[in-house]
Amino acid sequence: MEASERGYRAVTVADIVRRAGIARSTFYENFSSREDCFLEAQKYAMSAALEQVIAAAGEIEDWPQRVEAGLAAFLAYIAREPALARTCMVEALAAGPAAMQSYEESLQSFVSLFRLGRDVSPYGGELPEALEEALIGGVFWILYQRLSLSEAEQIEELLPELVEFTLTPYLGAEAARRLATTKAGPNRGTEMYG
Amino acid sequence: MRDPINPSVESPEYPPELARLPPGRHGLPREFVARNQRERLIAGLAEAVAENGYSGTTIAHITRHAAVSRRTFYEHFNSKDECFIAAYDTVMTELNRRVGEAFEQQEEWPQAIRAGLAAMLEFLTSEPHLARLSMVEALVAGPVVVERYDAAIQSLVPYFEAGREGRSDEVLAGLSSTTEEALVGGIVSLISRRIFADRTEELEALLPDLVEFALTPYLGSAEAAKVARAA
Repeated sequence: MEASERGYRAVTVADIVRRAGIARSTFYENFSSREDCFLEAQKYAMSAALEQVIAAAGEIEDWPQRVEAGLAAFLAYIAREPALARTCMVEALAAGPAAMQSYEESLQSFVSLFRLGRDVSPYGGELPEALEEALIGGVFWILYQRLSLSEAEQIEELLPELVEFTLTPYLGAEAARRLATTKAGPNRGTEMYG
Repeated sequence: MRDPINPSVESPEYPPELARLPPGRHGLPREFVARNQRERLIAGLAEAVAENGYSGTTIAHITRHAAVSRRTFYEHFNSKDECFIAAYDTVMTELNRRVGEAFEQQEEWPQAIRAGLAAMLEFLTSEPHLARLSMVEALVAGPVVVERYDAAIQSLVPYFEAGREGRSDEVLAGLSSTTEEALVGGIVSLISRRIFADRTEELEALLPDLVEFALTPYLGSAEAAKVARAA
């Protein structure tokens, strides 16, 4: 993960093979170029992160708990794999259109998770169309800032405020705060919201 | 391409300075010519980047669009990166000025946020090349620009923080230290992604959604929607 230390633009194929301890020919047996290698790393990291999110949140019926579990799994992945996370969320923005496209796709998979909140929201039908995109954009921006500053180890501490931020438009500030600050318990039913 | 400094003057291909400045001996003071050339190079870079992307842009592209010699380019800038930074700063200064003015003209904070966002969207829609340069290509243009990009986005945070003033304890308890950062990041991300997808002309239609998104943490959904959808 040479890119996460020096920035994508500065990394050469020579750096990558030296770091990976492989021959240059081996590199070219696996990847056609530095771009290709970067895109593979990005794709790998994103599907790994999404797998964790789905494993943690996919089965949960209650939507706020599902969001919380999903975000928690995402932050945990970033904290565990800061170099890969930087590649996806920071370097991807500097690596050109294909990497941006892939970044865009990972963002969209969160959009569908958040959109389910409309079903339990008292404002459901009236919420702005672009809400989910803006919310995820905001969450990603915060994570991007922390990763740019190499603060990956503190990233899990952001969970309560990110949960509150994302739940507020659906459930109102008061319910969102209550849900973000209480640890998930068995008595939190859908009837509480709104 | 319009002159970012003087948007009322329109010229299909070149910034207006070119039309006003005939080639050859014109007896203009040296600094005026130099300033003019610099502006032309900046405008030339914006056109070249719109055409080829940042990575695909060469100094030859820039000088051709600016209609100046390669030597002139190097009198003003040491590299493509340096020229890009100058262009980026020019665009952001103009964008910030417009947003600031629109914001200041309103008495009430929710209306000020609405006016500021409207000014931003209007500028970006009317200048699609500059929109792409500042919101998409900037991220590809190396660490110096990325740092400025980050700083430019963070500089919008105080506009939103102003919304905390006079709110009830209950509302304030619902805001965290990162609320404003997340709002700004969400807004910029939404805008950038439209520009990235070549859907810049749709930006102005996003205004009500962005206003509602920005105001909800402070005013609640119902009140935020009212301001967002007011004509």
